[in-house]
Amino acid sequence: MLRTVKPKNARSKRALEAREPKEVEGPRQAIFVKGTHTGEIVNNAMKELMALKRPDAISFSKKNPVHPFEDASSLEFWAQKNDASLFVVGQSTKKRPHGLTFVRMFDCKVLDMCEVGIEAFVSMHAFKTPKSTPGHRPLLHFAGELFDTHPRLAQLKSLLLAFFGGPALESIHVPGLEHVVSVSLAPAPPARAADDGTLLPRVHLRTYTVTRDRAGRAALAPMGPFLDLALRRHVPPEANAHLLALAMKRPKLKKQDVQKGLGKRRRNVEVDEMGDVRGRVHLGKQELGGLRGKRMKALRGGPGESGEESEEERPRERKRSRSGD
Amino acid sequence: MDVSEILASHEARQKLNVVEKEIPLVIDAGYLTVTDLNPVDKESYEEDTEAYLLATARDGVQALFSTLSALPTVPSPYGPLTQLPPPTTELPRAKPLPKPKPPTKWEQFAKAKGIQKKRKDRKVWDEEKQEWVNRWGWGGKNKEGEGAWLSEVKQGAEVDHDPAQELRNSRKARVAKNERQQLQNLARAQGSSSQAPEREERKKDIDRTLATTRISTASMGRFDRQLEGEKKLKGVKRKFEPNERSIEEEKKNSLAIISKLENESKRAKKEKSGGDEVLNVRKAIRSASGGKGSAALTRNSSKPKGKKGKR
Repeated sequence: MLRTVKPKNARSKRALEAREPKEVEGPRQAIFVKGTHTGEIVNNAMKELMALKRPDAISFSKKNPVHPFEDASSLEFWAQKNDASLFVVGQSTKKRPHGLTFVRMFDCKVLDMCEVGIEAFVSMHAFKTPKSTPGHRPLLHFAGELFDTHPRLAQLKSLLLAFFGGPALESIHVPGLEHVVSVSLAPAPPARAADDGTLLPRVHLRTYTVTRDRAGRAALAPMGPFLDLALRRHVPPEANAHLLALAMKRPKLKKQDVQKGLGKRRRNVEVDEMGDVRGRVHLGKQELGGLRGKRMKALRGGPGESGEESEEERPRERKRSRSGD
Repeated sequence: MDVSEILASHEARQKLNVVEKEIPLVIDAGYLTVTDLNPVDKESYEEDTEAYLLATARDGVQALFSTLSALPTVPSPYGPLTQLPPPTTELPRAKPLPKPKPPTKWEQFAKAKGIQKKRKDRKVWDEEKQEWVNRWGWGGKNKEGEGAWLSEVKQGAEVDHDPAQELRNSRKARVAKNERQQLQNLARAQGSSSQAPEREERKKDIDRTLATTRISTASMGRFDRQLEGEKKLKGVKRKFEPNERSIEEEKKNSLAIISKLENESKRAKKEKSGGDEVLNVRKAIRSASGGKGSAALTRNSSKPKGKKGKR
């Protein structure tokens, strides 16, 4: 356990405040840890995944005797020490060669984990193509029906989304989107394996650079790294249900945001082809009966009020007759 | 002029931008994510995997871009910024939601009374100087009169009466009071639940002290004047264990005694080896061995034995 320190100067106070929980969270820091043995493949894969994750990535250059599925205490310690909430642990053993474990933390405790085995790896350097700028936001593409239905793959999607997708943005400069991380599934393996859930389809993780021509057509070019992954052990987030419940809590929407239309579907507001915001306003039924127009003699009175009118008329008639004289 | 050709080409281009799939793509613009839930086309996958993956990715990216282009934009110095909607996918947070700050005592009071918070300006107008001065801090308005070179002293004031010092003291007292209140607010915020046991503890402490003082007179409280409403002191009642007990309990008790003895012997050992207060062992050894240490002392004591043998 770390000591709780009381800040002694303004700088350390600011640093501590930056670590405090916030309503709207920033990007998640990821730590890349090597296990007791990592082969060349795992090393390179981690290096290139880190290149994609930069600048929100921390590399642990030394080997560490860490086994996330047996004991996650060191991960929890590192998470607290480095203010990180994602881990990629590389480990290669005889039983599970070329393994990468994605770990997601909540409040410095392990929320869920997913181990994948690297079955094929093509480095970034294998493609002599332009690479994306570090720190640019990738587009994400998930292809495969199981991402919606199978809990293991739904978890993988959620993990990768947390890893690459980062915090939700309010706005983005679209021409600055340079690359896409595409995660696709191989066709489902034979049916006998599918029902017991041990044999899951292979996952292809590809990264491409995106270029768009004038007409808005997108063209992709391979950027690397290319990874073919096989799903292995995992800890579902439901295993830590109490943590998950806390992690899924959303802040209450502020009154101002509700008025702006955030959080709720904006109704009767649309953007036309020119990019202008157009709103439709609904008016109630118009009641012209109660309308007060200019008082005119011709409008005044109807046939029913003839009695009154005659009384009023009389003096004027007299006047007129006099003038006529 | 025939524009039909141009129109046709434009339409063809438009078509390329439109992605048609059996199951429409799910797009989460907030996370810039597109999910393609169509089943994998096994034939084309096996024919050329990389080309197939690239084609599906391109379709997805195209659909995402067309969604993004339909979103409203705001101009910025770097170019138009596309306003993204809040994401539809819910991801777990990295840290818990921040806890709301507990209101201070003043805030509670102000809320009850309906007092609106008013922001005070940092500067106030000084009528005498005819300029804006700090409300506090350097040359602050709250220090007014403290540095006056001449001040009125009322008749009958004490000899060492210093009006400037008086003003300064009262200001310092206000600051101290504010600090105290801040601390109280902090203590209250840290948990009202932890306060109650503290109070109970204090009560017990007072009771214990009272009981000790009542029997601390020469007559052990026997001839003391009784106060009104004073209760009779309750002594400690002796308790005896029953003669017949279960074996388990007996075992536990005897083990406790043994462990207590063990601890005691350990403690005794420690005291012997370490600094015994009556006898400073280290010093004694030093004086006995003439500064040569305990090893020399044992050697010396064994020497005569050897001599005996020789003789």
